[in-house]
Amino acid sequence: MKIVVCIKQVPGTTDAKIDPETKRIVREGISAVTNPFDVYAVEEAVRIKEKLGGEVVALSMGPPRADMVLREALSVGADSGILLSDRAFGGSDTWATGYALANAIKKIGGVDLVLCGKQAVDGDTAQVGPGIAAQLDWPQATYAMAITDITDSGFVVKRMHEDGWDLCDIDFPAVVTVVKDINQPRVPTLRGRLAAQKVQIPVWTAADIGAEPGKIGLDGSPTRVVKTAPPPMRHKDSLKVEGTAAECAAVIVRQLRLKSLA
Amino acid sequence: MGRHIEQKIYHVEILPPKQDTEKLDAGLELFASKFARVMEGGYCACITDNAMGNLAFQGTEMIKELGLEPRENQVMIHLNTFHTKTDLDQILSDCRELGIRDLLVISGDGSDRLPRLAPKDIDATGVEAVTSVELLRYIRREHPGWFKLGVAFNPYEPEEHEFEKMHRKLAAGATFVITQPVIGRHPVVDKLLATFPDLPVTVEAWMSKKLELLSEAVGYEIPQGTPYDPFANLAELHANYPDCGVYLALLGFKTQFDLIKGTWK
Repeated sequence: MKIVVCIKQVPGTTDAKIDPETKRIVREGISAVTNPFDVYAVEEAVRIKEKLGGEVVALSMGPPRADMVLREALSVGADSGILLSDRAFGGSDTWATGYALANAIKKIGGVDLVLCGKQAVDGDTAQVGPGIAAQLDWPQATYAMAITDITDSGFVVKRMHEDGWDLCDIDFPAVVTVVKDINQPRVPTLRGRLAAQKVQIPVWTAADIGAEPGKIGLDGSPTRVVKTAPPPMRHKDSLKVEGTAAECAAVIVRQLRLKSLA
Repeated sequence: MGRHIEQKIYHVEILPPKQDTEKLDAGLELFASKFARVMEGGYCACITDNAMGNLAFQGTEMIKELGLEPRENQVMIHLNTFHTKTDLDQILSDCRELGIRDLLVISGDGSDRLPRLAPKDIDATGVEAVTSVELLRYIRREHPGWFKLGVAFNPYEPEEHEFEKMHRKLAAGATFVITQPVIGRHPVVDKLLATFPDLPVTVEAWMSKKLELLSEAVGYEIPQGTPYDPFANLAELHANYPDCGVYLALLGFKTQFDLIKGTWK
């Protein structure tokens, strides 16, 4: 089985600033991490591979430093990584991003399953996974809590809902986005990290994946961010409570009741 | 641990590189250098375990992968409850393989990214979560007689609760204690010493000039820029707690390490 896991590098801080001109997150000078939901997707892919055999390819679209997230995926069991990086991709919205990733998946070839995290914590749209499925014209399942009963032709997905869950039979090839309930990701080992450092990660450009210029970047993006603003500052109150545990608890409960929180 | 106190051996804290570092090679080199200096200096290297819930590499894997040479009784590994059972057993096995006997067993600061031991993982009954108490019992059960197990004591937590926990930790097998950072003197630490006169206690000395970084530990805001002399505090700790060990937290290896020699008389 060949599994592609789409992973994104996101800011590693909540102090990210928005460029007033482009309305996009300023990423320079800010620490970067793997999108937390994608970590669960990588883990699930590796678990499926360990159980059934096959190959896991980590795929990311981003600037050159995004190869870091691919190496993290390699350190926990992905077999290879591919970075899509090209100025032409800059400014892509979720539809254009999905198009680029779908083209890369077609170029990889023979893919049975695409796994993504539910959403990226910087954009929070949860659209790229479904967008990839739409571009590939593959079935999709979102908010997956479990992937089970995998056969040669398909699998069962347990999907999370507000009111509970459902089970869906899905045929390969398919796209699945996962939630954190699906597994507990393993912690990379130093040995894994050191081995991943030595791996060659190919960088594919727009031309490499046959992307049409009008379908990527700002030109390929049917949506525009027209305004962004930080949320209103939360007023922080602090109260020092002293005394025995029982006395402190009584004071805290009273304060919560005064704020209608208890 | 009693030996470290008798022989006036400082505990020197070393933090492994974080997992998300973009400068891994430099971080590994720095760790190896610090470790070697602590070994050569005759001190005890205390290696943290995902400190503050930040995913970092393990002390034992650092030592093994970098080919470092722990000297007998000169390494202490911090061990918290945020591991899978498989990883926990591997750490303990690695400690034995490396001849490391001193463990500081703590509940730890978790995060979303860190797995957490469940009671069923270590056959802990009657509890809903694993704390240092259950972890102590597990280690003693699985490795009887091998490890010397220490625990943390936090004088800034509610006193009654902290002493009640201390009794449970001691009953579970703890044989030494390391406190949270102490500035000068703390009445609750004095009470700890009076309550358990035979228990080896090591007080933590805050060696960073940025005292405000302790705000979270002490539970109140310390203004940025508050004047603080780490070495003056270190001298005060020695004077106030002459029968205690000293754990040096956030020791600056560039400017401070060479100055600690001879400060414990």
